[in-house]
Amino acid sequence: MVSLGTQSGQRSYLGMIGIALKMLMGDPVKYFGLVFGIGFSTLLMSQQASIFVGLLTWGANPVLDVRQAQIWVMDPRVKQPDQGQPISDQSLYRVRSVDGVAWAVPYARSAATVKTMQGNIAAVTLVGVDNQSMVGLPEENLTNSMAAIRGRNAAILDGNTTHLIWADGRDPIGEAVEINDNRIVVTGLTSSLTNFSGLPTLYMKYSDAIAITPPERNKLSFVLVEAKPGIEPEALAKRITEVTGLKALTRQQFAAAGTQFIIENTGIPISFGAAIGLGILVAVVITALTLAMFVAENLKNFGALKAIGVTNRQILVMVLSQALLVGFIGYGIGIGGTAAFLYFGQADPSLRGFKALGEIVGGSALLVMVIVLGSAYVSVRKVLKLDPAIVFRG
Amino acid sequence: MTLISPQAAVIDQVIKEFPSGNDVIRVLHGISLGIDYGKMTMLVGPSGCGKTTVLSILSGTLSATSGTVTVMNERLDRLKNDDLVRFRRRKIGFIFQQYNLIPTLNVAENAAIPLISDGVAWEDALAQSGRMLDHLGLGPHKAKFPRQLSGGQQQRVAIARALSHNPALVVCDEPTAALDAASGQAVMALLDEAAYDPNRAVLVVTHDDRIFSFADRIIRMEDGRVIDDGLTQSLPQKV
Repeated sequence: MVSLGTQSGQRSYLGMIGIALKMLMGDPVKYFGLVFGIGFSTLLMSQQASIFVGLLTWGANPVLDVRQAQIWVMDPRVKQPDQGQPISDQSLYRVRSVDGVAWAVPYARSAATVKTMQGNIAAVTLVGVDNQSMVGLPEENLTNSMAAIRGRNAAILDGNTTHLIWADGRDPIGEAVEINDNRIVVTGLTSSLTNFSGLPTLYMKYSDAIAITPPERNKLSFVLVEAKPGIEPEALAKRITEVTGLKALTRQQFAAAGTQFIIENTGIPISFGAAIGLGILVAVVITALTLAMFVAENLKNFGALKAIGVTNRQILVMVLSQALLVGFIGYGIGIGGTAAFLYFGQADPSLRGFKALGEIVGGSALLVMVIVLGSAYVSVRKVLKLDPAIVFRG
Repeated sequence: MTLISPQAAVIDQVIKEFPSGNDVIRVLHGISLGIDYGKMTMLVGPSGCGKTTVLSILSGTLSATSGTVTVMNERLDRLKNDDLVRFRRRKIGFIFQQYNLIPTLNVAENAAIPLISDGVAWEDALAQSGRMLDHLGLGPHKAKFPRQLSGGQQQRVAIARALSHNPALVVCDEPTAALDAASGQAVMALLDEAAYDPNRAVLVVTHDDRIFSFADRIIRMEDGRVIDDGLTQSLPQKV
């Protein structure tokens, strides 16, 4: 029996793919319906997932902002970085005494209210960083920041959120504010990662920060620790907990705890999960229905092709190639829309730092491909089972 | 030495039954007939007599319940499905009542489908189908889409598609049923020309007595049986 050579076999598939794509693109209503349906659902999935991940990252950002420390030590009840539960000053020395600790410094983090000279009031997150090492300051503009807060009651401010204190957009450097009846002067600007509270962060020396907060027995929020060379941070954190009874987490563990707190204690996962689910549903419904309609309307033509001698495998390749084409184009439009949204969104402080992670880009690509190929396969099954003699039955 | 059969297709004692609920309906009752090379054979008879079923079985798109089907010395009932599909693609040309042209492909592309599906390079296939279209008088319409053509022109495109790969057997299902008299005559004239080829057989299933004059042989069927096989005296002389 005759059989196709490899080259002509490949050519036959390429040729049939060409016919399939012409069949698809010759029907602009369905073609553009599929492309924009998939594009819209990709946009919905990837954009909502990016915002979701960005919001989750907010819970971790106060930890991620402090790149110099490997371990955070805290009250055992603390679950996330904005949950201040002060520990005694002695904790600092107990931590320093643990074998394997290279250095340990204090870090204070609390809520405060500032009054401006113009009479505005604004809530802020007040951070006190170690007087000598300045560990705890964001990395950006670090040298200038360190110099700027050396003076007494000097503070540097997150430059991304100054509008929340001075709505008139003035340059805050040199501005005086009042915290608990203490006069503070803004001497510099830094750039910190957005945190979940959305409040501006004001950085001061540790001694200044604890001096202006209301009196209470303990004011030390965290002890930041660096392990000696050759000591694994995980092992040292475990040892600190064993020795001091305090909770000690590596930077990565505490950052993860911050995101976990948002997942467990807010409605964000449900609302964004619903939006992402909606995106998947839109993709499935539009793709499956449109492809099914397309195949159904072309059933007689497929029957004729089968009678003429087009194999089931060729027809499968034809329909899959149609699905892949609309999948690729739709996905490109959708992911491009997400990229544009995130790019232009960087100008908005509430979206700053949000990005489409590789996992989101790849995951939504995988999802779209599974949806279009699955829909195509479901649609084409009818054709594969089609009796070619149907074409003679009027 | 290979013995070449004078008949392009032969079916022998073919029975075809279709399931209907719990019953089985027998539509062909042990039919035997052969289709000659170089001739136009017409299969005629009332609706439901089984002529389309014979056409389907002869063209390998439907399997017989029993009996043998031999086309160009190949036993179709013994071929595996993929081989049968390839056999149809290379050896048989199909012309359907409703043309079944793909509306989003132009005339040249439609006519080239059997070649493209067989692995002929796209440009070569278009060139080959283009020559056939030129021969059938459709040269100026190659770039048009089926909706831009009349019914007769569309059926001529279907003929070009059926002949573009030079098949040895051409099967036509009611090729003039959707055409006016003049278009039907023109289409049949082209098929008649194709049937003059001594290496090709043309089988036409039809109701249309206006085209009987093109037949070299007429096989009449009724109730799943052949009741007459030959050119009757009452028919007009072949044109």
